[in-house]
Amino acid sequence: MPENNSEKAVSKKYGSGWIFFGLIIIGLTAFIYGILSPHPEKAWQAYLINFLLWSAIAQGAVLFSTVMHMTKARWSGPLSALSESFAAFFPLSFVLFLVLFLGRAHIFPWLHEDLHGKEVWLNIPFLFTRDCVGLLVLYAIGFAYLYNALQLRCDPDHVRNGFHKFIYKGWIRNNRSPEEVKKKMTLWAGLYILAFTLVLSLIGYDLVMSMDPHWISTLFGGYAFVKAFYVGLGALIILAAVTQIRKGKASGLAPSHFHDIGKLFFAFCLLWADFFYVQLTVIWYGNIPEETHYVIERTVMVPWSKLAWTVFIVCFVVPFVILLNKKVKSKPVFMVILCSAIIIGFWLEHLLLLAPALSHDVHSLPLGVSDGLITIGFFGLMVIAVSFFLKRFPEITKDSQVRPSG
Amino acid sequence: MQGKKYIMGIFKDEDQVVSTLAALKETAYKFQRVHSPIPSHKIMAALGLKKSKVGYFTLVGGILGLISGFALAIFCSTRWNLIVSGKPIISLIPFFIVGFEFTILFAVFGNVIGLLTQARLPSFKEVEYYDPRCSGEHFGVLAACEPMQQDGLKDFFQQNGGEVKVFE
Amino acid sequence: MSQLTYASIDQTILNTLGPPKKYYWAIVAVLFLGVLIGGACWVYQIFVGIGVGGQNNPVAWGTYLINFVFWVGIAHSGTLISAILHLFRAGWRNPIARAAETMTVFAVCIAGLFPFIHLGRVWQVYYMLPIPNHRLLWPNFLSPLMFDVIAISTYLTVSTLFWYTGLLPDLAAVRDRSQGTRKKIFKFLSMGWTGAHDQWRHYTRGYLFFAALATPLVISVHSVVSWDFALGITPGWHTTIFAPYFVAGAIHSGLAMVLTLMIPLRKIFRYEKIITSDVLENVAKTIVFTGLIVGFAYATEFFIAWYSQNIVEMESFRWRAMGDYQLEFFIMVVCNTILPLFFLFKNIRRTIPLLFGISLFVNLGMWYERFVIIIGGVAHGFSPHAWGLYRPTGVEYGILIGSFCLFFFLFLLFTKHLPSVSMTEMKETLEHGGSHAG
Repeated sequence: MPENNSEKAVSKKYGSGWIFFGLIIIGLTAFIYGILSPHPEKAWQAYLINFLLWSAIAQGAVLFSTVMHMTKARWSGPLSALSESFAAFFPLSFVLFLVLFLGRAHIFPWLHEDLHGKEVWLNIPFLFTRDCVGLLVLYAIGFAYLYNALQLRCDPDHVRNGFHKFIYKGWIRNNRSPEEVKKKMTLWAGLYILAFTLVLSLIGYDLVMSMDPHWISTLFGGYAFVKAFYVGLGALIILAAVTQIRKGKASGLAPSHFHDIGKLFFAFCLLWADFFYVQLTVIWYGNIPEETHYVIERTVMVPWSKLAWTVFIVCFVVPFVILLNKKVKSKPVFMVILCSAIIIGFWLEHLLLLAPALSHDVHSLPLGVSDGLITIGFFGLMVIAVSFFLKRFPEITKDSQVRPSG
Repeated sequence: MQGKKYIMGIFKDEDQVVSTLAALKETAYKFQRVHSPIPSHKIMAALGLKKSKVGYFTLVGGILGLISGFALAIFCSTRWNLIVSGKPIISLIPFFIVGFEFTILFAVFGNVIGLLTQARLPSFKEVEYYDPRCSGEHFGVLAACEPMQQDGLKDFFQQNGGEVKVFE
Repeated sequence: MSQLTYASIDQTILNTLGPPKKYYWAIVAVLFLGVLIGGACWVYQIFVGIGVGGQNNPVAWGTYLINFVFWVGIAHSGTLISAILHLFRAGWRNPIARAAETMTVFAVCIAGLFPFIHLGRVWQVYYMLPIPNHRLLWPNFLSPLMFDVIAISTYLTVSTLFWYTGLLPDLAAVRDRSQGTRKKIFKFLSMGWTGAHDQWRHYTRGYLFFAALATPLVISVHSVVSWDFALGITPGWHTTIFAPYFVAGAIHSGLAMVLTLMIPLRKIFRYEKIITSDVLENVAKTIVFTGLIVGFAYATEFFIAWYSQNIVEMESFRWRAMGDYQLEFFIMVVCNTILPLFFLFKNIRRTIPLLFGISLFVNLGMWYERFVIIIGGVAHGFSPHAWGLYRPTGVEYGILIGSFCLFFFLFLLFTKHLPSVSMTEMKETLEHGGSHAG
């Protein structure tokens, strides 16, 4: 049967996943070695940075599908389907967050500080409870959206595995009507977008801004979720490019898709830079020491100033100049390189925001081999999650709408 | 163009125009231009036009604007030459705003100049060989031919579904 | 949409340029009277002094600034609709793009009047220009007020050029269908446009660049306006969220004004087949979105004010919600975030009178938002000894009425002299259901 062959082919292509399992092992080993060393906070810092970055990538990528649905955009095609595969990282992200609890003594600098009244908000039980609930709600809504979206993508005549059966039951419950499914998708997509903004802002305030508990910036939440969408789009472009390279025409991806998502990516590059500039200008201009100390430490002090410039150049200047060119957007290999560099840039951006608060009085960047190894572990986790999803739902990489839609 | 006859085929349907243009290439008649009430992708694709150069004007304008914006702000600030609110006399963070606005302004000026020069507007002299219906619901394909070929050209247009208009 | 043809589009729109009914003249006369009232108040202020307004110490910025920000905000959604939605190839923008873009141009003009009005000594306005004044002083570009001068003038210039470029093919269409004086005027205005393929080739490219340049311009202009407040250190003003918050709020108020203008326009000019209820519904849905962003910003400000544990910030926001201007705050929150949520319900979105009513409330709410921010910021600052209140005076009310009358007056003149819906873009919708993004 042709389906079995294509399924085998798909599993063969993604089955070289053993190498990624190896990466996870490497990461885990480096992490455990780190937390057992005399300076566990270094390992926990790397863990936190990776948790934030890879969760943001997953959350931002899924946001693409919900936004495309809400705006009834027609240009996205298979890209929406591909972006949904990042939802497979959601359960992993939740577990990874719970693990953060184990390192709380090494992560939160305010644990033993006098917080002048903020203890109501910044205390471990409340922080973990609210962030847990937030992530649960966000991921549950994401899965609810996915449950409905997949009903339109899966072919009911080829119920392959447990996941398919589950989706198929939902399709029956919706009276096999694409309109009903779409209505539900609209509801869950809207809720996801709302939850995305609220939960990512919350995580931004709790896990990044609060590391310097006496600093505030009202735009920090907005900055966090714009950043998440930007990196999410970057990861989606990488996935789309890799799919296009591996499957060619069978992927359903045309140069116009790459061109359009490249344009959206460029727009969010500008928006991220705008949010960055807006925060900087208001703080710089007001010149209030309570606010400026945070920015001065990160942009003027050694060793952070070089990092700050690197982040700015990699995350804004380079993509801006390159993406002005029209043709570059439809070159998959080049976009993979560019987007990977940008994601690394955002890893460094998280380092820039977090490290000065977590590692005071350092003379050189607290960046070492173990950080790289831990990152590789997380990367392996993401790849395994995404390919797991794509293996279970291979229809994703074909032209997405299997049945006629309204 | 002494002696040349200009004849316009007037069509109501965009697809007819596209097929007429394709057919016109095969004939000996000289194609002049197409008038349309809308910018039609299909017609432009059929004509195989090169990309417009307006963008270069915009780019030059933008670069000039970026430089002028910063230059203006820096110049005025050095004339003022007093430390205000503890900020350096030449502070790039706020001056970027001036530079940015001027970039957009001059890029738009470049855009307009490019548009006007490339499209050769404004042209206030009488437009030859134009039918006012072409800004409404009709498309006009203008072709030129030798005086003896004019009947052939008229038939060509009529065969392709268009009305014929002969210009004296 | 399917019943429309090129001819019917032309017919419907060109019919609106015919001689107006009597009540049109009555409305224009009333509006013009309002403009005269506003003008008279301003002249009175020039001669007697800025003190005839309610500004005082500490509230030095009153309704003139509120109106300024309000009108710049209205202008922004016009550019959103004509430029940003063009880049996204959203075809539903085509029926309303022309009117929205016109709304932008007029709103920016009126907004630009207000710094001038607020100046008091208007003969010294040239101090703002980059020429040395009679004391050989040049303007200081470190000031956010100077950013404003540059940003607003750029926005006015770009919007006008964008508007005119968009009008060009339509002006040619009107020229070709008129006689006599009107034909002469439109011949001049259309600059010899013939719709030749070469002209279209350059036009579509130029229009695309216009849209691509207007988009960052919109974001930067209202960010600059927000920085008039955020760059100072006043509590309630000095906050990083202002720039995107103001941009979202601007689009929110502007979309509401679009509904306020389009709904009567559609009825009077019988544009029902062109500005369909689908288009209005899409505007309503976008209002929900911008309303939620504005609500998010309100919540964030309050949360961070508490989180900061800074007594000045906390007091500033406590007073905002529960102090002397509690009513204005309540109007702001209800009209901007709660009422638009009714648009989540499809029956409400499709009921035209409700669309119109809610849009009026959103406009009211957005005016009061600027009141709460501007007055609320300076009235209750750092030093309790310096706390004060503000009440607008008759002169200010006169100028406020004058500005609204001027806006509607200009818009009404526009609707009878120029095609209020873009014939070209409507015809394009028929061909490929979308706008001509090159």
